[in-house]
Amino acid sequence: MKDFIEYIETSCAGLPDNHVTYLFKKYILDEMTDRANEVTHSGLRDEKVLADLMADEYPDLPGQYKAWSKEYRKKKLAKTMRLVMGLGGVIFFISMFIAYFQVSRVTGAWDKTWLIIVGGIFAMIIFYTSFGIKRICRMRRIFHPIARVLIAGCVMLFTVFMFLFWLMMVPELVVWPILMGGIILMLVADIVFAYATKQKFRTVTAMAFMPVITTMLYIILAAYDVVGWLTGWPIILLGFLLDLIYIIFIAISNAKYFMYKREDEE
Amino acid sequence: MERRLNAELWDKMHYLFRDFNDRMVHVELNYDFVPDIDALKTVIICALEKVPVLHSKFVDKKLSTHWEVMPYDIDDVLTVAYPENVKEAVDEFLTQYIAPDAHLQMKLALFIKDGKSTLCMVENHMCMDGGDLKYFLKAFCENYSDYVTNGKSPIEFRTGSRAYNEVYSGFSKTESNVAQRLFKNINSKDKHKFPLTPNHISDQSFIARRKFSEDTLAKLKVKGKEMGATVNEMLLASYFYSVYELAGFPASDKLMISSAIDLRRHMDSVDDKGFTNHTSWMQCAIPERGRDIFETVKYVVRSSNKFKKDKYMGLYGLPLLNLGYSIMPHAASEEIIKIGYSNPYMAMSNIGILKGTDFALAGNEPTDAFMSGAVKYKPFVLLTATTYKNVITLSMCVRGNAKDKEIVNKFFDLMEKNINTLIG
Repeated sequence: MKDFIEYIETSCAGLPDNHVTYLFKKYILDEMTDRANEVTHSGLRDEKVLADLMADEYPDLPGQYKAWSKEYRKKKLAKTMRLVMGLGGVIFFISMFIAYFQVSRVTGAWDKTWLIIVGGIFAMIIFYTSFGIKRICRMRRIFHPIARVLIAGCVMLFTVFMFLFWLMMVPELVVWPILMGGIILMLVADIVFAYATKQKFRTVTAMAFMPVITTMLYIILAAYDVVGWLTGWPIILLGFLLDLIYIIFIAISNAKYFMYKREDEE
Repeated sequence: MERRLNAELWDKMHYLFRDFNDRMVHVELNYDFVPDIDALKTVIICALEKVPVLHSKFVDKKLSTHWEVMPYDIDDVLTVAYPENVKEAVDEFLTQYIAPDAHLQMKLALFIKDGKSTLCMVENHMCMDGGDLKYFLKAFCENYSDYVTNGKSPIEFRTGSRAYNEVYSGFSKTESNVAQRLFKNINSKDKHKFPLTPNHISDQSFIARRKFSEDTLAKLKVKGKEMGATVNEMLLASYFYSVYELAGFPASDKLMISSAIDLRRHMDSVDDKGFTNHTSWMQCAIPERGRDIFETVKYVVRSSNKFKKDKYMGLYGLPLLNLGYSIMPHAASEEIIKIGYSNPYMAMSNIGILKGTDFALAGNEPTDAFMSGAVKYKPFVLLTATTYKNVITLSMCVRGNAKDKEIVNKFFDLMEKNINTLIG
């Protein structure tokens, strides 16, 4: 123990003399003592070797301190954030109802103002889910499909709100294509997620979604009379064309890696 | 607190080889003195602490796999005994099997008799291959010597990544990209088998060895130089010729023997890498036996030259294996890989030269040193070659019966005869 304390004190000589440094030193000493007990239990009797072995396992304490203190601050911040979010959620919820009653009372539009409640609840769900998604992204890849489902869910909540909003606000407007737009947004979000997090089969995902996206686009454009129902269908083919272009692009950019032939095969 | 280590690609591959061999690598070092047992124990503990995979159990959860670092007692790692019959004790120790889920993946024994000692080691091939084991032993002996003579703590063991893709670390970015797209599945397709008896539940593991004198190696080198062949190719040619004779294969048959290659040749340095496997197979094929062994040598040289010219020698199929293991749950990927993988029926591994200075304990070089690969399950065989003090030792580890032992010894007789023909 004395050797470890000496090693820690010598290695950490340049670190600031504060509570965080004390906690770090205590943490390292506990870890070293535990490891030393393990190794001693295995049969190591030479104290000098034990001290050297432990020191070798912690070769860069100042570097470790940087990482540890960063993590420590992060944990403290997360704790504060959890408190703020919890309180903030309650305040937001109460404010939402106050806003609902106030706006309804002033405008008298009780048939439309319920959107404030729906929108507020949806916003809260999306807000809290985004933290969940962030957490899942830091987990092993096997859990990433859960994040993809949650993203799709958030996009659909947003779409449903937009649908309800326009339905209530402009009743004469054709609003159902908004749901088709939601599907496009959902697929695009999934492609972006797949590429941003370097998911396996992201190319296949993008290529599979492309024709679906163009089909939805065709329906939306036709619904708003931008293209005709009978003449606009080539937009669907555009998806397959984009797939083809993408395949050619991949083939060209990877050709140099696949062209290698062993000399005896040439 | 539970400590976990990643199960790397080669760990999983060698785990899959459980159907073909017992995965144990064997070492025997004979000394004319008795090492300090307490010092030996200290060095072993330090080695195990620096290479934690050696005291870990392999956990197969079907969906995924990992290593779990386990506590151990040094007396379970090192056995010290004073047997009457050292050879018998060595054989018994070396032919033991360590299960992947055992708490220790390496065991040592020190057999002492008449002021002499034999240090034996068995190690799970999932942890490291012959190439790294050679380095590990060298580091082990150096640490022991430094500890005993200078009082220096024996903690100088290499640590670092055990990942298979370290093999690409010596390549440029473009070369690495090319190598990581070598999805071609290269397997031994030869159906010729070493003529052992069928499997039986009473089969026991044994290690058969044959030594070839200093003079033989010298002559092999001279003759090899004349023929443009390496010693390894000369041995491989003798292996081919002897198998034709032993099994009675028609001389016109095409035959294939896989030869182990060390993939570290592609790496700049292994100093910052962990102990692991970096070994692949080179399929050496000859179109026919040849009129005499000299013609067989020519065929072998021609076949191995094709591989030597290849910049990415031995790297084919690695990306495919990695893909197989990474996209599916472990149990499913094993089944799929088993469909595409065919284990070579006949193989050879030349571990190479064992230097006396590398294995010296406090200045005492071994009088004899020997290493060999895993005990193969019939009908698979692996011929291992090691060279110590210019003496080549050929060995074959087989799980078989007395008849199989006879067959293997007959094979060694044929090897001897054919090598003698080669060197005139």
